[in-house]
Amino acid sequence: MKKAVWSAIVAVAVLIVAAPASAQNTDTKTVNVTVNVSARAKLTLSASTLTFADADPDTTPSIAAGAINVDAKVRTSPGGASSLTVLADDDLTSGTDTIAISNLTWTASGGGYAAGTMDATTAQTLGSFSGPGNHSGAQTYALANSWSYATGSYTATITYTLTAP
Amino acid sequence: MPAGRFRIITLCVWALAAGVTAAGAQTATATLAADVQPLGKLTLSATSLTFPDADPDLVPQVPAAGGPLTITAKGRAHWGTVITLTVQADDDLRSGVTVIPASTLSWTASGTGFVDGTLNRTTAAVVASWSSPGVHGGTQQWSFANSWLQPAGTYTLTLLYTLTAP
Repeated sequence: MKKAVWSAIVAVAVLIVAAPASAQNTDTKTVNVTVNVSARAKLTLSASTLTFADADPDTTPSIAAGAINVDAKVRTSPGGASSLTVLADDDLTSGTDTIAISNLTWTASGGGYAAGTMDATTAQTLGSFSGPGNHSGAQTYALANSWSYATGSYTATITYTLTAP
Repeated sequence: MPAGRFRIITLCVWALAAGVTAAGAQTATATLAADVQPLGKLTLSATSLTFPDADPDLVPQVPAAGGPLTITAKGRAHWGTVITLTVQADDDLRSGVTVIPASTLSWTASGTGFVDGTLNRTTAAVVASWSSPGVHGGTQQWSFANSWLQPAGTYTLTLLYTLTAP
């Protein structure tokens, strides 16, 4: 009988020793996260054509066209500079007749946007911006009207360039 | 306690008791106590998440490359208690001195007990909770809220997942 009791005591003792007093009840893991945000520029214009109607130079010395809405979206470094420029491919041309492209001017609205005069050799600044974001504005062109223009249908192409270094 | 260890101890007690009965024709009893403590064990399918660059207009929510994170949470707890899995950011997303809030990271979840959520750097957000012990599996698809307002850079933070079985 004594042997049996001792056996039981030993067994229970083994159990007590074998069982941990307190098991771990939490577990943690870590995950490293990397987000890549690259420099980027995206330009959107509300119109791809501009038309100036014929008008009497005395009554309409400056012919206005409808406003072009501009969305200049850029991702730069914090406070990084970006710019929007315009450049004509040539003077306004109708066959062999020309009207100097400098007769085309614009006014602008919106943060960072500036009024200017078109040029066919040097890109002109339409907007200068600081930092990332959607820099929206509007540009309204006007063509100086004159009795000295030969009749015709004149065309030119303007290239807009948004640069976010 | 591991099951193998428990079996060995059981056999020892049985052998000792059986030996006594055969020799002296006496009987004795031994009470076995199996100590099952609360226990949590967490397994994740990846140790890193990467979000590629994308056009915010085309991809306003950038999913993590590589697809969903698969989570296996093994939990043993007292009846009536709740096993919880939480996640917390160690900081906001940082690229040098430039910061994007950790809250731009969110997830959608699948699996019983798992819930959708948004990351926070000050408070642990609940990923899942269960009212019964067992092996619980699910997935977490992370996404990054993409915006033109975010400065260019490579941003990092660390997620801390915690499984608690009270």
